[in-house]
Amino acid sequence: MAQTKITRTSDLTFWQKLYIPEIIKGMKITIRQMFLPKFTRQYPEERWNPPASFRGRPVLVEENGKERCVACGLCSRVCPALAIEVQASETELNKERYPVKFEINMLRCIFCGLCEEACPEEAIVMSKEYELTFNNQEEAIFGKDKLLISKENLKERLEFLRQYR
Amino acid sequence: MAELIQTQDRKLRTEEMVIQMGPQHPSTHGVLRLEVTVEGEIVTHVKPYIGYLHRCFEKHAEQMGNYSQVIPYVDRMDYVAAMSMEWSYVLGMERMLSIQIPERVEYIRVIMAELQRIASHTIAIGTFGLDLGAFTPFLFLLRDREMILEIFERTCGARLLYNYFWIGGLSHDVPLDFVDRTRQFCTQFKKTIVEVNNLLSYNEIFIKRTANVGILPANVAINYASSGPVLRGSGVDWDLRRDDHYSIYNRFDWQPQIGKGERGTVGDCWDRYIVRCREMEQSVKIIEQAIEQLPDGDVQSAIPKRIRPNASEIYVRTEAPRGELGFYIVSDGSGSPYRVKGRSSSFVNLSVLPEITRGYMIADLVAILGSIDIVLGEIDR
Ligand code: SF4
Ligand code: SF4
Repeated sequence: MAQTKITRTSDLTFWQKLYIPEIIKGMKITIRQMFLPKFTRQYPEERWNPPASFRGRPVLVEENGKERCVACGLCSRVCPALAIEVQASETELNKERYPVKFEINMLRCIFCGLCEEACPEEAIVMSKEYELTFNNQEEAIFGKDKLLISKENLKERLEFLRQYR
Repeated sequence: MAELIQTQDRKLRTEEMVIQMGPQHPSTHGVLRLEVTVEGEIVTHVKPYIGYLHRCFEKHAEQMGNYSQVIPYVDRMDYVAAMSMEWSYVLGMERMLSIQIPERVEYIRVIMAELQRIASHTIAIGTFGLDLGAFTPFLFLLRDREMILEIFERTCGARLLYNYFWIGGLSHDVPLDFVDRTRQFCTQFKKTIVEVNNLLSYNEIFIKRTANVGILPANVAINYASSGPVLRGSGVDWDLRRDDHYSIYNRFDWQPQIGKGERGTVGDCWDRYIVRCREMEQSVKIIEQAIEQLPDGDVQSAIPKRIRPNASEIYVRTEAPRGELGFYIVSDGSGSPYRVKGRSSSFVNLSVLPEITRGYMIADLVAILGSIDIVLGEIDR
């Protein structure tokens, strides 16, 4: 077996072995850092407000107390994680169809934003919410009650979409 | 084996011992298990076991309804360098469909990919230092990586898994403050590189731990098909950005960096490390030039309405931060891919590990593994 000869460090003098100059050099840089402004955020106390471009959990837009969605099912077709389930039904309103059942399984969702992209009505958008915790699996399936968010609260995102899409 | 035993004290009867390192070990960089055979403290053989993070990416890709749905999954291959992953796949699809993409898109892609390269190398260098006991550089580098992630977040809305490069274009145009922020980052990062060089690269303690350790000769590197900084660290001048002529890299003034064995032998851990460091400087250079030349235009004009390539196959490769990333895409003429095969650089680079750890100490094994810079998500897919 061809061995690479290990040339390890026996050529150091006593002072070099102590590595004191190197440690001092390093410490100088590190200690200077103490007097510079802090960079970390004290997270749970100090909240973070994401920019409008942020892709948090997908939500449904609520307009005049009703969802905008027309239950076309495009979002559930395009979803790569198969997280969305839509069941359509007829309605008297002039959009004619609405979802009786609209569920997003937040355990499956990968926050890709393709549903928002596919929706012809701008009815499903990505919100700013990033804190999602569940105690059990059933809780993670979000129905219409949790998904509907009024249009006013999503203004920033809708504006962003208009500007950059 | 005979020489090895000679290195031990003759009077002691030594026996080989097999140690399991990982899958939950801080210095295996993820869920990798190494079966290490040791002779005293000297490593005689290492056998990596992979598959703990297997997520059936390739099978998933076949099941998708269309080609663009694969992109979020491609992101999840190498989650430390998701932009570069996307680029490779998207480039393959564009070649398959013969799409000419707008200039602006090319420039933004180059900037994003180079930012991503820096972000990825900061993790690589930072965790390498961390493995060897240097905690501070890691924090400095993460602070700057944060700036990159902020740029990404303001552009496409995600910090890690972007889904930003689309077939034929981009998902969004860059925000208005993008240019300023990127410039600001470049200025800041140049300072950080100097800081990290002082703190880590040319630190005698660090050099002693890494120079002359894990030497990978050029011919072995080529035989094992390793790529990226691992190959360049061994002194092979091979960079796909220059040699494969994809995108617009030839318009910028930059140089691929190779290891020269300044502190030890060519192809040792320090060389692999310093190649990454210098590559970051080059990336900053590319970004600065690209920002200057960034043209106007519509980033979505070339996105095809329907993606349905003819029955054909294609192999594309790009230079991801960890080396050659290839995608072999087969289409059967339907709307979804028939087969997507990823050639991941980490996987190939890892295979060289048994070769270069033989005869070193266990502590060196950690250094060598850190210098290869693997991402398990890419290895297992
Ligand atoms: S964000 Fe992506 S994964 Fe989540 S529901 Fe929308 S399409 Fe599906
Ligand atoms: S959210 Fe949009 S895409 Fe989904 S079913 Fe409703 S209207 Fe169609």
